[in-house]
Amino acid sequence: MLRALLAKDLRRAWRNPLPWLLNLSLPILITAVIGMVFGGWSGNDNSLGRIKFAVVDQDKSPLADFLRGAANQGKAGQYLEPVFLERDAAEQQLKDEKLSAILVIPPHFASNYLTGRNVQLELVKNPAEQIHPAVLEELLQVVVSALNGLSRNFNSEFPAWREVIEGRGDYHEAARLIEQTGNKLQAARKYLFPPLVGYTNSAAPADAPADAGPKSAASTSGPRERSAPKFNIFAYLLVGLAAMFLLLLASQAMADLHRELWQGTFERYHTLRDRLLPFVAAKALFTVVIVSMGAAIMLAGGQLLFHFRWPRPLQLGLLTLAYVWFATGLMAVTVALMPDERRANALNNVLSMVFSMAGGCMFPPDQLPAAVGKHLAPLLPTYWFAATARELWWSDASWFIPAAKLAALGALGVALAAFLFKRRFEKGLR
Amino acid sequence: MLKVSGISKAFGAIRAVDSVSFHVTEGEIYGLLGPNGAGKTTTISMVCGLLRPDAGEVFIQGKPFSANPGEARRLMGVTPQELALYEELTGRENLEFWGRIAGLKPAEARKRATELLEALSLTDRAKDALKTYSGGMKRRINLGCALLHHPKLLLLDEPTVGIDPQARARILEFIVGLRAAGTSILYTTHYLEEAETLCQRIGIIDHGKLLAEGTLSQLQERLGEGLVFTVDADFGDSSPAHWGGFAERFRVLQKSGRQLIVAAVGRRDPSDCLKELLALPVPLQNVSLKRPSLNDVFLQLTGRQLRE
Repeated sequence: MLRALLAKDLRRAWRNPLPWLLNLSLPILITAVIGMVFGGWSGNDNSLGRIKFAVVDQDKSPLADFLRGAANQGKAGQYLEPVFLERDAAEQQLKDEKLSAILVIPPHFASNYLTGRNVQLELVKNPAEQIHPAVLEELLQVVVSALNGLSRNFNSEFPAWREVIEGRGDYHEAARLIEQTGNKLQAARKYLFPPLVGYTNSAAPADAPADAGPKSAASTSGPRERSAPKFNIFAYLLVGLAAMFLLLLASQAMADLHRELWQGTFERYHTLRDRLLPFVAAKALFTVVIVSMGAAIMLAGGQLLFHFRWPRPLQLGLLTLAYVWFATGLMAVTVALMPDERRANALNNVLSMVFSMAGGCMFPPDQLPAAVGKHLAPLLPTYWFAATARELWWSDASWFIPAAKLAALGALGVALAAFLFKRRFEKGLR
Repeated sequence: MLKVSGISKAFGAIRAVDSVSFHVTEGEIYGLLGPNGAGKTTTISMVCGLLRPDAGEVFIQGKPFSANPGEARRLMGVTPQELALYEELTGRENLEFWGRIAGLKPAEARKRATELLEALSLTDRAKDALKTYSGGMKRRINLGCALLHHPKLLLLDEPTVGIDPQARARILEFIVGLRAAGTSILYTTHYLEEAETLCQRIGIIDHGKLLAEGTLSQLQERLGEGLVFTVDADFGDSSPAHWGGFAERFRVLQKSGRQLIVAAVGRRDPSDCLKELLALPVPLQNVSLKRPSLNDVFLQLTGRQLRE
């Protein structure tokens, strides 16, 4: 009978495909939009594209030259595209949205810095952009931290350096300073040059929820070097987006139960069969088929679009399937509780948003308020999915337990929905 | 075949069905006649197990429904008032699907669907999507979907509502054929003509209560010896209470400013009744005699027309 019920739903969907095509086109659209925003089609495997910004050097000192040069040397050149302009020209280009930000090195920057006076670098962000200015701001904070560190550790040598930089010292004095500074740096090397961001391949403790977020990865300790895939921001974002979108898609698919209710077919079924579970379970299977298609489009399509590969596709697929089943169970319960489709949709939208936000799908959990990030998020199924899927990027540990929990919750939801519908029929509520 | 014993159902403060009892014998069409909101659908919903009665019990072939709902459901076919069908599927697919839900194997369901399409004169449209069907054709499929598993008891909830007279006649003809084949039928309707022509026994229901039941002639006999008079006149302020001895000889069924409907009390000669009515102290325009209809019975029971 399950087969007959499922075949009926698939046939109906096939005969009236427009609503489903619209629903399934949404993940493609979302993935594509993210791709366009981040330059996902550029062929750059890091996918953010180069960040164009202006450097306005009002100091014109050798130290400012050093900062200017560092902005497009080596690795930085892969990500950053600095242009060197006067302030007016830079501001005009910012208004024309040709730049993501302007970095202003103020007059007397070098002399003030080397004499221990307070100095301020200025960053003017393009308000029309979100990501690139934010990345530049983060980078500037790193530079500022480094300058502060230098200032604290090399303060005693700064007057001599100032003499040299201002052209008042001789070559012998400069050579001595370089040697002295080099020796100091050599001694401080092990403190100054750990990788800024790294990871470990150790599994999270069984009782602690896994988290693949970049922040938590950086905070772990232990061996850093192994041949694991590079962290990919799009994979990270896609998982969160998928967690929310799959809930919404499950809501749409499960809403077919409401249509069966108002057109009387669900009641008609009940005139022939006492148990409602097969009917609800068949609708849940139908929902799983539809939502799995959405998941495949998002996760597999995203992989193609952003030029990365999921390291553990089988585990990710099984985990996603369990999450799809959970989403289906959750939406079955809300359909059974809500008297009509309109109200169920409203509730489901709110639920999806709240579960996604609080479950760390949209932001890393440790960026959330402590009460939510530390105490609420680990209890949410969205977190189990998103955090575990992100963890799968780094390791294959402990994916099974979250998947089993999600699947169990989904089954519970479907059974509860059947029970609620039975009560609803007995009370005469349609 | 079906015995309904004192079932009641309330939705909050509203008593939708109040201690309704009746029975349907094998091969009988029992009509539940009443206006919209009388409690017909609620009664059928309790009989088929969709609603649990607050009180009373439903017996199918002598066994309480609640003792084995699954078995009771297998004996029944239900045609709901609304078209509980899938518009995207074809007529054949709808029939086959409901056959499968009723427990038929795929091959059986296909065979029965073919038979029913033939019986319902829909073979030539079998492969068309239901959304392309006329209202009458959809009603026929709606009826057919309850018949796949050869139910012994058929519950029909206003199966002809909203369709043209020709389509209705076809459905009624089909239902008569089912009865001839031995199917027991509980038939709800608010159409007087359907109840009069189709049903062997009729129960009149209003405000959740079964007011009267019996064959058509038994119900008609409730109105004296079958004499109902319609008096058209300008009654003005005049009232039957002022006409000496009128209440002993006639029962007033309905009175308006220009029309009075009365039934003769006891066994009376029609010509005597006519003379007495012609002698009323009001300016008469017309007096007519007719056999009482179900509407007159309903009028007598409720004080209002079924069509109101």
